[in-house]
Amino acid sequence: MLAQLREIVGHHNVTTEASDLEHFGQDWTRFFKPAPMAIIFPKNTEQVVQIVKLANQQKLALVPSGGRTGLSGGAVAERGELVVSFDKMNQVLSFDETDRTVTVQAGVITANLQTLAMSKGLYYPVDFASSGSSQIGGNIATNAGGIKVLRYGLSRDWVAGLTVVTGAGEHLQLNQGLVKNATGYDLRHLFIGSEGTLGLITEATIRLTRSPPTLKVVLLAVPAMTDTISILRTFDDRVDLSAFEFFSDQALDHVIRHNSIPLPFAVRASYYVLLEYEVKATPDDVAALDAFESCVTAGWVVDGIVGESEQQNRSLWKYRESISESITRHMPYKNDVAVRVSQVPGFLAQVQEKVESAYPEFEIIWFGHIGDGNLHLNILKPESWSAVAFKKECELVSEQIMSIVAAYQGSVSAEHGVGLLKKEQLHFSRSPEEIEIMVRLKDVFDPNGIMNPGKLLPGIS
Amino acid sequence: MKVLVAAKRVVDYNVNIRVLSDNTGVDLNNVKMSLNPFDEIAIEEAVRLREAGTAEEVIVVSVGTSACQEQIRTALALGADRGILVETDEDMQPLAIAKVLKAIVDKEQPSLVIAGKQAIDGDNSQTGQMLAALAGLGQATFASQLVMGDGEATVTREVDGGAETITVKLPAILTTDLRLNEPRYASLPNIMKAKKKPIDVYTPEDLGVDVTPRVKTLKVEPPASRKAGIIVESVEELVDKLRNEAKVIS
Ligand SMILES: Cc1cc2nc3c(=O)[nH]c(=O)nc-3n(C[C@H](O)[C@H](O)[C@H](O)COP(=O)(O)OP(=O)(O)OC[C@H]3O[C@@H](n4cnc5c(N)ncnc54)[C@H](O)[C@@H]3O)c2cc1C
Repeated sequence: MLAQLREIVGHHNVTTEASDLEHFGQDWTRFFKPAPMAIIFPKNTEQVVQIVKLANQQKLALVPSGGRTGLSGGAVAERGELVVSFDKMNQVLSFDETDRTVTVQAGVITANLQTLAMSKGLYYPVDFASSGSSQIGGNIATNAGGIKVLRYGLSRDWVAGLTVVTGAGEHLQLNQGLVKNATGYDLRHLFIGSEGTLGLITEATIRLTRSPPTLKVVLLAVPAMTDTISILRTFDDRVDLSAFEFFSDQALDHVIRHNSIPLPFAVRASYYVLLEYEVKATPDDVAALDAFESCVTAGWVVDGIVGESEQQNRSLWKYRESISESITRHMPYKNDVAVRVSQVPGFLAQVQEKVESAYPEFEIIWFGHIGDGNLHLNILKPESWSAVAFKKECELVSEQIMSIVAAYQGSVSAEHGVGLLKKEQLHFSRSPEEIEIMVRLKDVFDPNGIMNPGKLLPGIS
Repeated sequence: MKVLVAAKRVVDYNVNIRVLSDNTGVDLNNVKMSLNPFDEIAIEEAVRLREAGTAEEVIVVSVGTSACQEQIRTALALGADRGILVETDEDMQPLAIAKVLKAIVDKEQPSLVIAGKQAIDGDNSQTGQMLAALAGLGQATFASQLVMGDGEATVTREVDGGAETITVKLPAILTTDLRLNEPRYASLPNIMKAKKKPIDVYTPEDLGVDVTPRVKTLKVEPPASRKAGIIVESVEELVDKLRNEAKVIS
C-alpha cells in the first residue's frame, strides 16, 4: 500500500517516520494519542483524487490535515488512518483584480493570504491568533471565525468557490467565483464547516476586500462580566466596531507572565474588554470618547486606554491574542459556546454560578468573542491531575454547561468545530432529525465512510 | 523648571510606505499618521520628570500643518501641560524646524528641551543638534538614561559599541534613544481632560523665522525588492542549487 501511495505522490512525499507520525497525527488538542499509519503530502488535486480512489479500494480511512491548529481533535489520527497533509499544496494559483478574488491551493497559510492581499492593496479579514499556522483549507473545513467576525463575518462569507474531492473520489468545482448563482443546492456551503467528513478541499477562490480605514484599539477595565453587552451596545450605537473581545483578570495574569509584559492598567479589574473601531474622520474619535463617558457614568467601566500608534495597537491586541498560547501548557479543557448576543448576560451569570460550584479546585479562564455571543471557557488542569481523569471530570461538568447552552438554544461549538472532542455534545445543539439527515448526507458524499471517520457525527466509527 | 518637548507628526512606523509613481515622494493619501516614536519617548521622559516633581511644567511643541493638533492632543493626554503649534503648510526641513524651535526656546526659556534622536520620516537626526547650536546650549544626544542634578543633567548616551556617560549644564538639549523608557498608553479619562488643556498657535512669520526649504528632493525610489525564496525538496537539490545556481560552493 505504501508503495502504491508513493507511486502517486513520489517517494519523498510519504512518511512513516515516528516523529512525523506524532507531529502530523494530531492538532492543537493534547487529549488524544496520535497513531496514523502514514502521512502523505499531495501536490495537486489530481493526486488527491488518486489517493481517495486508492483509499476506497483498500478501505483506508483518511484524515485531512491542515495547519493542525484545530481545537477539537478534527485533524487527529488515532486509529491507523492515513493523514493527508496539505503542507505541500501551498501555491497561489491566480489573482483577479477586478473580481477581487484570489484562487489558492488549500494548504496556503492564512497569514500568507493576508499578506498577499495586502501586497495587492486589499485585505483578507478572517484573522485569529493561529493564522500564522492555520491553512485556508482548515479554516474553510471548520468555518473559522476569529476576531473580526463582528464586522466581516466568518470564513464562509469569503469563499467564492471551492474545488473538492468527495469521499467517493469525485472531483467537483463548486461555484467558481460567482457572486450570484441560483441553480439549486449550493454544495460549496456543505463543505464549509464539514471538518473533512465529506471530502477534501483542494483549492479555494477567496474574496478580498478593500483595506480597512485607520483602526483604534481600546482596552477597558470592567468590574462585572454581565455588563459587557451594555458596553457593546453603547459603543456600537456610536462607532463602527471591528472587534469586541473580552477576557478575565486571570487570563491577563497568564498573558503577562507568559510574555513578560507589563500590566496595561495601574489598577486591576475583574474583566477587560478589548474593542477596535474604525476612524474615518475625527468625529469618530469624539463619538468613541462619548461612548466611554456613558459607560463610566453607568458604572460599567472604570478605566480605559487607547493605542496611539499601530505599535501600541499591536501591543494591546497581544493581551487578548496570546491568551490561548499562554495557557496551553496547562492542558486547558476548552468550551467554545455561543448564544444570541441578547442572551449573553443571563447566560454568563448562569454558567458562572454553575462552574464556580462545580469546579472549586480548577482554575477557570474566561475569554471570547463576546461581541458575537461567543464565549471561550477554559478549564486548566491542576498539575496533580492526570490528563485522563481531568478530561473525564471536565466532560461531566461540560454536560451541565451544555444543558444551559441548550436551554438558551445556543451552540456547543461556536467556531472550533466538533471533531472528536464535542461530538457527544452535538445533540445539545442539533435535533435527532437534523443529525440523522447529516448522517445521510455524509453517506452521499462518502459512501464507504473513509473520510475522517469518527469525527463530528456521534456513534459512527 | 520648565521642560519643552518636540512632537512630530509622521507616517506610522508600521505602515507600508509606497513611493508615488512619479518618484516625487511617498504616498501620504489615507495613510495612518502617528507621533514620531522617539518623540513618544521624549514625552514620556518629560512626564516622568513632572511626576517626580523635578519639572513644574511640560510644554509640547509641534511644527507643521493644523493636523499636528492631533499629536499635541496625544501628548497632552499622556501628561504634558500645554501645547504650542507652529502652523505651516511648508515642507519643513530640519534647519527650519530647528530655527522655529529656537524661537520657542527664546520665548519659553525652558531648562531642558527633549526631542527624538531622529524622526522616522526623514531619518535626518539633525534637528536637536542644530537647535543646540542655534540656541548656544549644551547637547546630550542619543540618551538612554537621564539623571537630573543641581543645574546639570547626567546622561548616558548610546554610542558605537557601548555607552558613554556625560554631564551637561542646564539649560540643555536632550535627544532620546529607544532604551530611555517605555512610553505609556494614553488613558481615555486623560484624553477627556486633555481637551481642556490650552494649545497656542503661531505661524513661522509670527516668530520671525524664514522656513523656505533649502534642500530640493530630486527623486524618491523604493528600495530594491528581494527575490522570493524557494523551498527545495531534498538535500541533494539544495547542494545542486548552491553549487550550480548560486555558485557559493564548488
Ligand atoms: C491559539 C489559537 C487561537 C485560535 N483562535 C481561533 C479563533 O479565534 N477562531 C476560530 O474559529 N478558530 C480559532 N482557533 C482554531 C483553529 O485555528 C481553526 O479551527 C483553524 O481554522 C484550523 O485550521 P487548520 O488549518 O489548523 O486546520 P486543522 O486543525 O489541520 O484541521 C481542522 C479540521 O479541518 C479538516 N481539514 C483541514 N484541512 C482540510 C482540507 N484541505 N480539506 C478538508 N478538510 C480539512 C481537518 O480534518 C480537521 O477536521 C484557534 C486555535 C489556536 C491554536
